[in-house]
Amino acid sequence: MAGNFWQSSHHQQWILDKQDLVRDRQLDLAKLSEEEYQKIFNFFASIIQVLGEQLKLRQQVIATATVYFKRFYARNSLKCIDPLLLAPTCVFLASKVEEFGVISNSRLITTCQTVIKNKFSYAYGQQEFPYRTNHILECEFYLLENLDCCLIVYQPYRPLLLFVQDIGQDDQLLTYAWRIVNDSLRTDVSLLYPPYQIAIGALHIACVMLGKENLKPWFAELNVDMDKIQEIVRSIINLYEMWKSYDEKKEIQSLLGKMPKPCPAPQR
Amino acid sequence: MQGGSAPREPAPVLNTSSTILNMREKEKYIEDFDFPFCDESSKYEKVAKIGQGTFGEVFKARARNSNKKFVAMKKVLMDNEKEGFPITALREIKILQLLKHENVVNLIEICRTKATLHNKYRSTFYLVFDFCEHDLAGLLSNVNVKFSLGEIKKVMQQLLNGLYYIHSNKILHRDMKAANVLITKNGILKLADFGLARAFSVAKSGQANKYTNRVVTLWYRPPELLLGDRNYGPPVDMWGAGCIMAEMWTRSPIMQGPTEQQQLILISQLCGSCTPDVWPGVESLDLYNKMELPKGQKRKVKERLKPYVKDPYGCDLLDKLLQLDPAKRYDADTALNHDFFWTDPMPCDLANMLAQHTQSMFEYLAPPRRPGHLRHHHHPPGAQPKPAQPPQDSGYQDRVF
Repeated sequence: MAGNFWQSSHHQQWILDKQDLVRDRQLDLAKLSEEEYQKIFNFFASIIQVLGEQLKLRQQVIATATVYFKRFYARNSLKCIDPLLLAPTCVFLASKVEEFGVISNSRLITTCQTVIKNKFSYAYGQQEFPYRTNHILECEFYLLENLDCCLIVYQPYRPLLLFVQDIGQDDQLLTYAWRIVNDSLRTDVSLLYPPYQIAIGALHIACVMLGKENLKPWFAELNVDMDKIQEIVRSIINLYEMWKSYDEKKEIQSLLGKMPKPCPAPQR
Repeated sequence: MQGGSAPREPAPVLNTSSTILNMREKEKYIEDFDFPFCDESSKYEKVAKIGQGTFGEVFKARARNSNKKFVAMKKVLMDNEKEGFPITALREIKILQLLKHENVVNLIEICRTKATLHNKYRSTFYLVFDFCEHDLAGLLSNVNVKFSLGEIKKVMQQLLNGLYYIHSNKILHRDMKAANVLITKNGILKLADFGLARAFSVAKSGQANKYTNRVVTLWYRPPELLLGDRNYGPPVDMWGAGCIMAEMWTRSPIMQGPTEQQQLILISQLCGSCTPDVWPGVESLDLYNKMELPKGQKRKVKERLKPYVKDPYGCDLLDKLLQLDPAKRYDADTALNHDFFWTDPMPCDLANMLAQHTQSMFEYLAPPRRPGHLRHHHHPPGAQPKPAQPPQDSGYQDRVF
């Protein structure tokens, strides 16, 4: 499906304004600091990534699932739906939308159980993955509604390939930039900037990491808003800075404890 | 919002006991069921059922707000509980959000019923479309509707325009038939029902696509699908365009096979035998040796359609669209450049003709059409096609994904 990003719901409805995003998160940010909030999303992005890898999904599907996840909480508090339920739901929906097929219910649940037990026991201890197929199928409805049925997500991977082709095929550069794009899913950039800008930002960081001075003229000739690129670069670098001083294994349990949770309505 | 609203929706299908959660249980993980992003379907008032689409019923409805605009609402049918929200519906939604063209039906929005205890907290989703007054099958089944040659040209030109647009967006319709061609009272044609549509890519060397070949209503299904091709492309829709074009004169589907085997025989009787001579590579299709393929049949497309079509350019274009070999079949662009559209009488507007008919015509509401006109006279023994009773195979249960 070719499609045109500029006419898409991604461009028209889902490139959010930073101020709006901060405002819509107020409910959660009353209980969590901005950094704690980012750490929680970093954690759930890891869950989606590992789930996707275990299910042998393409990175494109994993990326779409992660963006669905972020879009949902861009408009809702963490307490609306337990993110541990929404994460596999996003994977389930993204796999269908990206034509990767329907993941069988039992395989999805089993994978969730194994992944939580084997890879994330530092967060959940002995607690098992508590949800079943019926929860996921129901949650899918809420997800669809909140996405306003905007299903197509454009990812930075394709523009990245085109840019690297234009530069002159450089496998090392592509590998680095590709990983940086993967990392960018743990920041807010996919909610704030069009994918081609994220691709340029990732290329920029990769060039700095690899000391590729000779590409300066290539960047200079791009007809893009360099301020936006700098904002993207800063978001991703901030993530790397955070990682340096952050031990998820030690901190995540208490963060999940602080996370706003659904509180039962008063009895009727 | 509930006051004076539409008749209660029946509860969605997904309500087996396993999915019913009690209130307390649910609140452990979901706090608020009321999400404001899709509008509620109660903003429309259903007027009549007008059809049965690939994945649900279709209703005519009217907006409750001031403009009272008519819309068509297509209910998303949840028939496979395990699949969750149906992949066909997801495809239709994402494809329709992508396609915006005068000759493609316009998706206005997606609506839902409110999730309440009453429907087990599962909304019913509706796709909401601009309303079109007629479908082509309905128009053709009404003997009082007469198309002039110029009007037929206009219908085909718009149909090919729509196909050109969707194919250049790398989308296959995969369910071309007269009932899926809508026509507004102003004579604008809209391709509809993208429930079977999908994106396609041009197969790279060495790695063929593997699409399901269980698509397209049997009477409009091209020979490559009947022979098991899974690496097909836009020509599957062009075959359907050819069938529909012939139907503009015959007024009923030209090849009404009751089974896949029979359909292949009917095709061979009209278009000649499927041989590697006329269709290089046909011998490597999966079912080439499994299906009975009539030998020695001569191609009689022009000869048999001439009595109906009369216009030699029309006959020629039909001949180009009903090519057995998908590689030789005209694409939408080439078809639009055919002399048929550029000779007198030129394509002419349908609005005046349609203005004489004030009642909506849909296949769903029309009496069954007469059995096929293009019956062949000497059927092979044991291959007598059954009369008009609609074949089971053309129904929607045929779709396997």
